[in-house]
Amino acid sequence: MARLAGLLTLTMAGGMLLPVAASFYYADGAQYALIFATLLMGAVGLFLRNIAGRNATYDLRERESFWITSVVWITVPLCGAIPYLMTGTLQSFTDAAFESISGFSTTGSSVIVRPEAIPQSLLLWRSMTQWIGGLGLILLVVALLRRLSGGSLKLYAAEFSGTQQRKLHPHIAKSVMRMWFIYSFITVLLIVLLALAGNSALDSVCLALSTVSTGGFMTAQFGLTGYSGLTLGILTVFMFLSGVNVALLYNLFTLKWRRFKVNHEFVLYAVLFFFAALSCFVAFSIANGNFTLENLGFSLFHIASTVSTCGFYTEGPAVWPFWPSVLTFMLILSGACAGSTGGGLKLRRLMVLFLYMRNYLTRMVHPHVVFSIKIDHKVVPGDYVNKIFGFLFLYICFIIGGAFLLTISGSSVADAFCLASANISNLGPSPLINSLGANLEYASLPLLSKWTLMVLMLAGRLEIFALLAIVSPSYWKRR
Amino acid sequence: MKNSDWKAVLHFIGPLLMAEGILMALCLIPAWHFADGTAPQTALCSAVTFAVGAFLHFRFRHFRNIKDRRMSYLLVVLLWIVLSLFATLPFLASGATHSFTYAWFEAMSGFSTCGATIFPDVAALPASILLWRSMMQWFGGFGIVLLVLALTPKLGINKYALYTAEASGADNAGTGAVRAVVTVRRTLTVYLGMTLFFILALLAAGMQAWDAVNLTFCNISSGGFAPASDSIASLTPLQQYILAGAMFFSGVNFTLLYLLFTFRWRKMKHKFDELNSYLFLCIVAVAFVVVFLHTNSGLPWSDAFRVGTVQTISALTTTGSVVADYTLWPVPVTFLLLILAICGGMAGSTSGGLKTMRVLILFRNARAILRNRLHPHIVNPVRLNGKPVTGHISNNVMVIFIVFGGTLMLGVMGLMLCGVSPTEAIGASVGCLTGYGPGLGASGGFGSYAHFSFPALWYCSFLMLMGRLECMTLIILLLPRFWKR
Repeated sequence: MARLAGLLTLTMAGGMLLPVAASFYYADGAQYALIFATLLMGAVGLFLRNIAGRNATYDLRERESFWITSVVWITVPLCGAIPYLMTGTLQSFTDAAFESISGFSTTGSSVIVRPEAIPQSLLLWRSMTQWIGGLGLILLVVALLRRLSGGSLKLYAAEFSGTQQRKLHPHIAKSVMRMWFIYSFITVLLIVLLALAGNSALDSVCLALSTVSTGGFMTAQFGLTGYSGLTLGILTVFMFLSGVNVALLYNLFTLKWRRFKVNHEFVLYAVLFFFAALSCFVAFSIANGNFTLENLGFSLFHIASTVSTCGFYTEGPAVWPFWPSVLTFMLILSGACAGSTGGGLKLRRLMVLFLYMRNYLTRMVHPHVVFSIKIDHKVVPGDYVNKIFGFLFLYICFIIGGAFLLTISGSSVADAFCLASANISNLGPSPLINSLGANLEYASLPLLSKWTLMVLMLAGRLEIFALLAIVSPSYWKRR
Repeated sequence: MKNSDWKAVLHFIGPLLMAEGILMALCLIPAWHFADGTAPQTALCSAVTFAVGAFLHFRFRHFRNIKDRRMSYLLVVLLWIVLSLFATLPFLASGATHSFTYAWFEAMSGFSTCGATIFPDVAALPASILLWRSMMQWFGGFGIVLLVLALTPKLGINKYALYTAEASGADNAGTGAVRAVVTVRRTLTVYLGMTLFFILALLAAGMQAWDAVNLTFCNISSGGFAPASDSIASLTPLQQYILAGAMFFSGVNFTLLYLLFTFRWRKMKHKFDELNSYLFLCIVAVAFVVVFLHTNSGLPWSDAFRVGTVQTISALTTTGSVVADYTLWPVPVTFLLLILAICGGMAGSTSGGLKTMRVLILFRNARAILRNRLHPHIVNPVRLNGKPVTGHISNNVMVIFIVFGGTLMLGVMGLMLCGVSPTEAIGASVGCLTGYGPGLGASGGFGSYAHFSFPALWYCSFLMLMGRLECMTLIILLLPRFWKR
């Protein structure tokens, strides 16, 4: 299993070569840092693969997949933190680790106050960490699928524990390659569109990388304020798309449009988005007194950003009434579709939950009726429901625990909850959180807060079980 | 639902109204003793309540069977509402308040043993009202349904349905008429015994009889009212500790207490799991609060210990007696108190909240799921008290957890819509739903809910009812499916 971890790390390191190349192009002094970090990643990967994993057997069980996931998700961000330190952009190890983990977990909480001031290739590095993190699971399986004896699905499950995946094709390898293709294609498409809309090359690339991975790193101090309406519009569309199940997106290309209607989760996602945006628009307009196109645009942008757990920020209407705040909070928790790079509880889980509750209430009244839960006309087995419940409970526990730690380090209760929720759902910055200041940066938070949030980010990204697995004593017991 | 079922419901409500009338009559004692001028009004309320109860019972005496299961849910809810309705009479008649909303809030807070008060100046209330408040809590704490269960051999309704309606969850009080009656008898004995004991203890600690009776009534029921405006802050340390003891015991499963007090300790050993969690929570929370108070608020150890222990126990058992203004305490501590209130005391006690048993099941379930992922071939059931907890029960607990959490969130949002500030909304929502009582901000600590708008008060009363009936019972009534043929 070390071999597999090594392979994965290597692949990720490979992805980081792009910023390295960029640093030469920009000649902005960050070359050495980036090269060093990438080489370190590569070295770790090689070490794991060739030395520690020398006598590897390819029989993979789920517990090993937890190990792989955790190892990769800890070592890679650590390596990724090095450039920030070496170039002097960030002074403390906490900050660098924070930024890196925020990147690889596609959260988007940033401690860099003025992104314009840091070396450009470092900006690219930052956004790249998000893209790589977002596609991490796909790379995971791509790297592993040829070698595994049947555990590849389980590995997949290690990152997406508790959700069902819509397979494109019976053969998992092909499916994954296709997903990779989709992501890359969408990213490139977005880059081109952004560039055409008038943004600089660096901006286009960085924003595209951050959007498709639903991460949310922004390249300017005030978020996306001041970008053209066209840019924001393009981003809105692509944010929305990024929150959709990747397998489903493939049908865009094969033009099987009907598949979208049949997928209940997507329908929920779309309907949610539509009504949320509309109600926000109405609320904003009433509170601010004017029904402008600007308000509409902002509502669409904000909701798309929230519902896909992207976390882009732009300046909105002056007055935030009650409803958008509440809606934002709820959408942060509910998250995007399963099988996308988005975070949160995932709509599929909520659907199962809702259907089960309806079942339950009916059974209270008519105790002898038997229902089963069906999504997309397929039955959801009973123990699945139990696992989803367990996940939900742990998720909430993490939020409460995280909020508690945050209050110890000085946040108010409301802020603590918003912060914890936003980070475990991998959203990132949100206008809900007062303590982040006007520019939504995390730099001014105390040390304990930052470390708490880092754990929360990882927990959210790894869907909790993988994270818990390695810290639970029963994991290390002999089988 | 048949007409006869409705009439049967009214028939059952009758005796309880009569009992309520008798309790009101007991409030005449302080009215005469303290000569607070409310004697005629109190007598009138008592007579009216008793008369209506007698009328209902007598008029519908031929309807003794409820055939429809759904009716049992309705019965419990109606019972609570009707009793609270008549409980508002003393408040209105004696002039303590002129607004029905206020009276309703206080009555609901009393019967559901919440402890949130609408009166900023409690000491100025007439004595009969003070006793009435304590009486409501004492009565409500015991659980009107348990009384109904005691009457059920005559009534023949589906007892299990009724019991699950009032105490839904993984309780092991069991089914069957005999066992239910035994449980009721045991619970009643323990309850009365403890009431007597703590009244005597407080008297021995130097308290006046009037205060002793009132405070015991309020604390042994996990209620939280008090005959003073500053709750229990002005008592001597010894008295506060005694009350803390009362609160602590009010949060323990009453069957367990019965076994404890009758020295059947060997039987107790089988039910230790939940007790362990309860104790563990208690000790850890108290330790944290005390240490935090000492280091962050600069209180000397003795004060920190006293105040920390009493307030923490008050929170965990969702009593709501306030020993110091905790809204001035550091945020993490207040946060912890709210979380404790949500956890609640043991199942089968008078406290509210989620109940420690459910929290325990949830944690064990999560742990089992985790273990299952790591060692998929090991048979790994979740155990409670040595007996396996089926997935069915776990899921039910989970549903209640979600409904509870959802109601909390809706509570916060609804209150904010009614004009309450966010902090206060969170505090009030938790306070009312869990049965703790005071919240945060001006309605927390020694404050009252008087400054809430009327819609907010109605919503809070609704939350109290939801909390007492463990959410599901009320929710089911709101479903259209429930009312279909």
